[in-house]
Amino acid sequence: MFEHEDEMLTRVVEHLKRPVGVDPALDGRVMAQIAAEPVRRPGTTAAAWHWLVTPRRFSLPPLAGLTAAAALAAFLVMRGPAAPASQTTAFQFVLVAPQASSVSLVGDFNDWDPSMSPMTATRQAGLWSAVLPLEPGRYRYAFLVDGVHWQSDPTAPRAGDDEFGVPSSVVTVGGT
Amino acid sequence: MSARTLGLAVLLLGTAAGATAAQDPRLGRFDAQTRAAVMALLDSARAVGLPTEPLLDRALEGAAKSASRDQIVAATRRLAGHLARARAALGTKASLAELEAGAAALRAGADSAVLAALRRSRPRQSLTVPLAVLADLVTSGVPADTAAATVLALAPITSDDALIEFRRDVDRDIALGAPPAGAAMVRGGSIYDALNAEGPRVNPPPGPRKP
Amino acid sequence: MGIDDVGMSDADLVRQVLAGDAAAYAGLVGRYRDRLGRYAVHMLGNREDAEEVLQDTFVRAYRSLARCDEPARFGAWIYGILVNRCRTAGARASRRRRLFVHDEQALEGPATTGQADRTELDELVRWALRRLPVDHREAFLLKYVEDLEYEEMARLLGVGVSALKMRVKRARDQLRIILQEAERV
Repeated sequence: MFEHEDEMLTRVVEHLKRPVGVDPALDGRVMAQIAAEPVRRPGTTAAAWHWLVTPRRFSLPPLAGLTAAAALAAFLVMRGPAAPASQTTAFQFVLVAPQASSVSLVGDFNDWDPSMSPMTATRQAGLWSAVLPLEPGRYRYAFLVDGVHWQSDPTAPRAGDDEFGVPSSVVTVGGT
Repeated sequence: MSARTLGLAVLLLGTAAGATAAQDPRLGRFDAQTRAAVMALLDSARAVGLPTEPLLDRALEGAAKSASRDQIVAATRRLAGHLARARAALGTKASLAELEAGAAALRAGADSAVLAALRRSRPRQSLTVPLAVLADLVTSGVPADTAAATVLALAPITSDDALIEFRRDVDRDIALGAPPAGAAMVRGGSIYDALNAEGPRVNPPPGPRKP
Repeated sequence: MGIDDVGMSDADLVRQVLAGDAAAYAGLVGRYRDRLGRYAVHMLGNREDAEEVLQDTFVRAYRSLARCDEPARFGAWIYGILVNRCRTAGARASRRRRLFVHDEQALEGPATTGQADRTELDELVRWALRRLPVDHREAFLLKYVEDLEYEEMARLLGVGVSALKMRVKRARDQLRIILQEAERV
């Protein structure tokens, strides 16, 4: 790239090309802002939330192994249509699991019932999401993939006490 | 009541399933033996004024994860003990969310005295987020005393959102290779300095400071 | 980390988003986050400002996606937005604490030789970049770090190729002098 006497410049460029570690939760923050944008098609008041909750068909790409379930889980904080009686915050949970045929969000907020919060596959194959209104507090949770495999949220704090031999994550919701 | 006393109370005062109030349908997710043990724990906790929802949640987590009866009972009993200690430290007016977060902090290794000190430092504001941040910091590897000192310094002068962001920054620094104690001290110290630039000084967090 | 390429091109994703599937935008965000973030960090000198600008860039790009004339060139197009946002952010006094530069040293634990060397080089590079005029720093980063062709740079910066080559050359000359000065200290 550079002449011999520019060895220092070469070293500088190599250094600058190194990854800088952008916060992976930034994806979630971007998508949260976008979720609040007006929909591109005319719709009802709830249309802005439509893309989060509408089941969609998708086709699984030919990827090998459940371990290909990459770690992209983001927390999105959105002030949205929530119960007026208590102060709730809508959180979006996202997981990339290209090989999965079903993913459930399971935790303290839904009595650890895998049937309560099935996650929705978006048209972008492999991306699963669910939105829950959460009151202020600290919640343990995990993802249940294909009804069999428990997966913690790689970008969230771990619960620390994996009392049942299976890791969980925690989310903390502030009150103000 | 100490955790050990509560544990004995649970053992000695366990009641038969039929003597409890109308059965919660969620209890149907346990097998009969586990259900009986869990109900006994809930009854005992209720008898000493502890909230039962967190206990049931812990037990349900175990059921969802196909844990054994012994594991479920042990985990639920352990949580009951921590809830009791949290209530002793935070006071009887502590909210459910504060008790749960306090129990998590104790479970992670924080001291009861720290919880009490946090209560004194933020008498009118919720402690849920500071306690949760404390628990998360210790779980991430920050030594308990460092985490405690940092959170105690920041809790009175920062918002919940700022505390959550602080914890996220520390997590990210640790993920990038920083020693946990250093990450907490540096991030905490910077926030403290910025917020106290114009106001009166309170006890600063420990560790190296920016020049 | 981002979403791995699962076979959908930028053009496909852009068309999906424009058709009303906002969730598909997450694929583009994941694909470009790290690369755009690297440029923003080097231009602005700290990660917090860079992430704020990066988030702003992605949202603005979403809002104006219909004006991306060539969906297959989404990457180059969003670079243009990012460069402008970085210019605006750089000109504005930062309201945030600048933790990154100073604290990275403090965050180094018991260092191996490799770690200490990287920290010193990082400080040196940051310092040297900060001493370049903004347009020279831009040109240098886009050419040598982001590996853009001059024609692409010309399109997104709205500057002629020969002017850009001059900026890049001046940036190299200045950096060479700055780094030689630093070696003498």
